[in-house]
Amino acid sequence: MLLLQLLINGVQVGALYALIAVGFSLIFGSTKVFHFAHGATFTIAAYIFYYLYSVSEAHWILAVLAATAGAVAFGVFMDRCIYAPIQRHEGSFFTVFVASLGAGIIVQNLVGMIFGRGFVSVTTPLSRSIELLPGLYVAPLSGIAILCAIVFFGALQIFLMRTNVGMGLRALSENPELVRVYGLSPRRLSTIVFALGSLLVIPAAIITAASSGLNPAIAHHIMLISLAATIVGGVGSLRGAACAGLLLGMSENLALMYLGPQWSEAVTFIVLFLFILFRPSGFFGRAIAS
Amino acid sequence: MIAMKKVLAVGLLSFAAGASAVHAADVTIGALFPLSGPNASYGDVFGSGVNLAAEHINADNLINGKLTVQYEDSQALPQQGLIGMNKLVNVAKVPYVLSAFTGVSKAISTTAARTKTVAVNGGGVGPDLADLGPYFWNVIPLANDEVRAMLPYLVKERNMKRFVLVYVDDPLGEGVRKELNSTLPGVGGELVEALSVPATAQQFSGIAARVRAANPDVIYIASYGSQQSQIMKQFRDNGITQQFVSYTAFSIPETNALPEAKGALYTSQNIDWNSSDPVTKRFVDDYKARHNKMPTAYVANYYNAVRLFGLLAQELDKQGKPITGENLLAQRIAMKTFDLVGGKVTFTENGTVISPMQINEIDGAGGKVAAVVKE
Repeated sequence: MLLLQLLINGVQVGALYALIAVGFSLIFGSTKVFHFAHGATFTIAAYIFYYLYSVSEAHWILAVLAATAGAVAFGVFMDRCIYAPIQRHEGSFFTVFVASLGAGIIVQNLVGMIFGRGFVSVTTPLSRSIELLPGLYVAPLSGIAILCAIVFFGALQIFLMRTNVGMGLRALSENPELVRVYGLSPRRLSTIVFALGSLLVIPAAIITAASSGLNPAIAHHIMLISLAATIVGGVGSLRGAACAGLLLGMSENLALMYLGPQWSEAVTFIVLFLFILFRPSGFFGRAIAS
Repeated sequence: MIAMKKVLAVGLLSFAAGASAVHAADVTIGALFPLSGPNASYGDVFGSGVNLAAEHINADNLINGKLTVQYEDSQALPQQGLIGMNKLVNVAKVPYVLSAFTGVSKAISTTAARTKTVAVNGGGVGPDLADLGPYFWNVIPLANDEVRAMLPYLVKERNMKRFVLVYVDDPLGEGVRKELNSTLPGVGGELVEALSVPATAQQFSGIAARVRAANPDVIYIASYGSQQSQIMKQFRDNGITQQFVSYTAFSIPETNALPEAKGALYTSQNIDWNSSDPVTKRFVDDYKARHNKMPTAYVANYYNAVRLFGLLAQELDKQGKPITGENLLAQRIAMKTFDLVGGKVTFTENGTVISPMQINEIDGAGGKVAAVVKE
């Protein structure tokens, strides 16, 4: 029963990790911007939802909409007002990364000043587990996390494969110059990517606020997961990032069957290390011929 | 014109000399607290006690000159703490540093000993902190005292015998594990499982499954900050209904406000907040007036740490001795007893405060004292 419990926990955590990672992977794969502030997007969405739903006692739909607006606005702001001016002045990859890192730290401190620097969480009966079988506890939120992951990935795939904008985004990741030749604006597409990537983090932010709770420094953990899942999944592969997120969540939990909990984070890095050694292109990444 | 310039220059020089003379009399002490990161809320709590004590010392003109506190952000991490300590000792040249968290305190203790700077801990409770040399003092009872106070109460009065320990993988957690291992058999209890977690871990649903499988009466949580709240929330969400128990780290507002923490027990040093002792009364009244709530043991500890400095520096001023780490240490040994919040306080030979303990219960309304342990 312990194995089944850990498996279910692993799928829930993995679904959250997948949702977190896929937004970062989409942005990084399409624009080559190391959007470290993706963790800050997560923090902003989570805290807006927490404040409106738990503190102001607004309706949950209103709280979700406000969290979405806040996260998307921040993502677009970062692209338009931070990254675009740097790139316009031929700023290097590293300059953009440092700007993103700085923005993440500013958001962390602002969130701490506004909402307090302690632990907060959203109290909801959905996070309370129900004993399905003797010794097997599952919370309704687990089902919601898995459902959200399926719906969001399905919708993203349809958007990228079936719409003109989606095809433009895929083209952007391949060759921005060619995109311009075809009359599309790489800058506009970049903004759409940031909006979309930020949107994808919303369900994970809200579910995390209710299941694990929040603190202003949570962004570091989010970026760790995003980065590990992006590398394990293969840079630029959304399917890969989703599968890697799931793999990392399940590895962390299933490791508890045989190892002490202090090894659970190490397991993430062991998986990462093994992929770098034996499959550096990741799950679905393409091998690069020299 | 030249003469006028000379007059101006002389005037400016004498003003500057006067200003530096004022500064020379001022005294700065250092504080290494987590001001950012997941444990930043502790920095707020600790700082509220430090600032109030500095305010009282300056209002009373207890020492010659003004007392100021230079804060450095340790992030509750040993490496950051050491960077802050080096800055305080080598740049600001402070004689007295307030420290917090076991890992940070252990990291800075060697620098304190080497530079003969007094380091005073009011937040970390790892038992190792008692043996960090003459320049390292503790104004908080350590984890071994806290665990020893709690265990007989749980086993004998509440008939809870099966313990699971969830502890952070650092010197504090290790210290609590050792203490539970050695003390529990003697009082009739049993440590059925000890699960260590990394300080950065945030997911505990899987660990909850392991805890449930161990079927304990009590879950002792030896962690701190956001993590201890996350553990309790996720454990309750995952069907764990057993008693939560911990040490002073539970006395922060965020843990007291957590619905899942209701009913949790934790130890702290025994302080009668309603005492008519003038030091305690002034501390409690002024703290309540400023923060509109009762102080906690942590606030009192750091108030005491700064007040202790004020009392020692006052004596050194009277004797015409400079305020250095060496002189502060010699004066503490000479004075032996101090009037601090909670009453008269004495230190053991290793520089750790001696205090009775109390067991507190989180009730969602500011907490209540469940028992007082005198020995």
